Amino acid sequence: MNATFRRVVTLCWMLMWVSVASPYPALAQTSRGADIAVVVHPDTPVSDLTLAEVRKVLLGERQYWNSKLPVTLLIRAPVARERDVVLRVIYQMTEAQFKQYWVAKIFRAEAASPPKIVYSNDVQYELVSAIPGAIAFIDARNVPPGLRVLRVDGHLPGEHDYPLR
Amino acid sequence: MYRRLFIIAVLLLTAVAAGGQSPPTPDQADQIRTLVQQVQQLQQRVTELEAKVSAYPTPVLYAGTAPVGSKPVPQETPAATVQAHQHEGAEAQAAVRQIETHYPSLQVRGFGDADFSTTDQKGTTSGFNLGQLDLHLASALSQKVSYFGEITFNAQPTGYTVEVERNIIRYDYNDFFKISFGRYHTPIGYWNTAFHHGAWLQTTIARPEMVKFGGTFIPIHFVGFLAEGNIPAGGLGLGYSVGVGNGRGENISRPGDAGDNNNNRAWVANLFVRPAKLYGLQIGASGYRDKITLADGRNFREWIGSAYLVWTKEHPEFLAEFANVNHELIMTGQSSNNQAFYAQLGYRLPWFERTVKPYYRFEYTHVPPSERLFTDTMDLVGSIAGVRYDITNYASFKAEYRNSRRTPGDPRVNGAFFQTCFTF
Repeated sequence: MNATFRRVVTLCWMLMWVSVASPYPALAQTSRGADIAVVVHPDTPVSDLTLAEVRKVLLGERQYWNSKLPVTLLIRAPVARERDVVLRVIYQMTEAQFKQYWVAKIFRAEAASPPKIVYSNDVQYELVSAIPGAIAFIDARNVPPGLRVLRVDGHLPGEHDYPLR
Repeated sequence: MYRRLFIIAVLLLTAVAAGGQSPPTPDQADQIRTLVQQVQQLQQRVTELEAKVSAYPTPVLYAGTAPVGSKPVPQETPAATVQAHQHEGAEAQAAVRQIETHYPSLQVRGFGDADFSTTDQKGTTSGFNLGQLDLHLASALSQKVSYFGEITFNAQPTGYTVEVERNIIRYDYNDFFKISFGRYHTPIGYWNTAFHHGAWLQTTIARPEMVKFGGTFIPIHFVGFLAEGNIPAGGLGLGYSVGVGNGRGENISRPGDAGDNNNNRAWVANLFVRPAKLYGLQIGASGYRDKITLADGRNFREWIGSAYLVWTKEHPEFLAEFANVNHELIMTGQSSNNQAFYAQLGYRLPWFERTVKPYYRFEYTHVPPSERLFTDTMDLVGSIAGVRYDITNYASFKAEYRNSRRTPGDPRVNGAFFQTCFTF
């Protein structure tokens, strides 16, 4: 390790700590509001996931509920609060990072398609009801009948320690 | 339905506001009064509809007691509302049909870059050069079968060459077992399978020396089959990939695309962990074994061991990878070990809407004098420091300073490199 290398490493660490010490803007721009429910097609063989498991599903690291039932990811289009919560709490990414993540994921041949983008809640309800294995994120106040709401870390929307809000 | 009414109300209010820019005439005052009355009626109507919507049956909460919306008294909906719901339902069903996956579902994405470089190395010239134009194809052929392809167009002094970089068909049984056949980037280490040919995907302008395209240190490509998947291990996030293929050809920078040149298959195995509690961390190790037959008839046994640790979040991003390549000349038993590693640190700054990412990389390659196969690979000790600026979500500009030395005693080479890269 030569002196130049040591100097540059020191500079990098200083830069990093300066930016860590400075206020980092929140990943999502929306204020806190209603809980976001994780809903699945009623035939999906799952009722309780940890936040880490939800993250695995959303990252495309878990692509099958079982060997016959693939996961179909549904995510609201930008600006929707549901999407902001998903990006902030689960992905911990900005909009740009999220887009880059899925471009890279498909490019690495780890997934054949990105999450399906849904432009309205009505369409989202129809899709979750119609597609076996579908998973979506819906404002807990507006969950329609017939969908299965998952516990996350053992909690349902509205409970004190529910993580998606 | 009530949303439409609300939109109409907003439009009316906007019209009222727009009309209020100048003193109203008596006619306008009447109109305004009428419009205000209509808005009040619409607001009342919206309130009624909201009350009816909140009286819909409770959602089915299979996972436990429902903590949300709990007035299970279904109301008889008026005919107009039913019609509106039917219309919206038809729209939603059309959207469902549109969004459902159809087979085959081909997606094409392109990557490109343009570069400028200048160095103080004797005998080199500065100037612009066109990087790779890269087309990536992905197509789901059925629920469980997918195709992936990657083709590059490379600028040469006399024209362009076209190269099939990857050509893969994969069958997914489940998350634990996926099998594919074709031409891959060899799963040794991290970089070679994380970034592929799209310069836009990687933080820096170029790949590290140990995994550079056209290089020989590790076999970049691999023709054969690969099994991969997750291993049930709780929160450890264990994954694997194991493959068998042709290994290096007579030209050791290329795989045996058209067939193996000996009867010995190469194998590769890669194991990694992505702990759930340390989101962003990935640690892995790889092994690769092959027998190489050169055009002059000499045979070598090759054994590659590799390990890596990466933190993929961008504040900070840290990538470190090491590989040891052992070659044994079978005729004499003479053996040599070649080592290479790099460590890269980047950090996406919280300012400028997080579009700026400075980075630094140190890399090292050592090929001992006893090495008989890597005749074109040279030692390297080098540093790069640069910054990446994301012009948009899909295009970036990078500027880099490089300082490197090939062999002890040689003068250091300084260079400035610039790149604009994009995906489309």
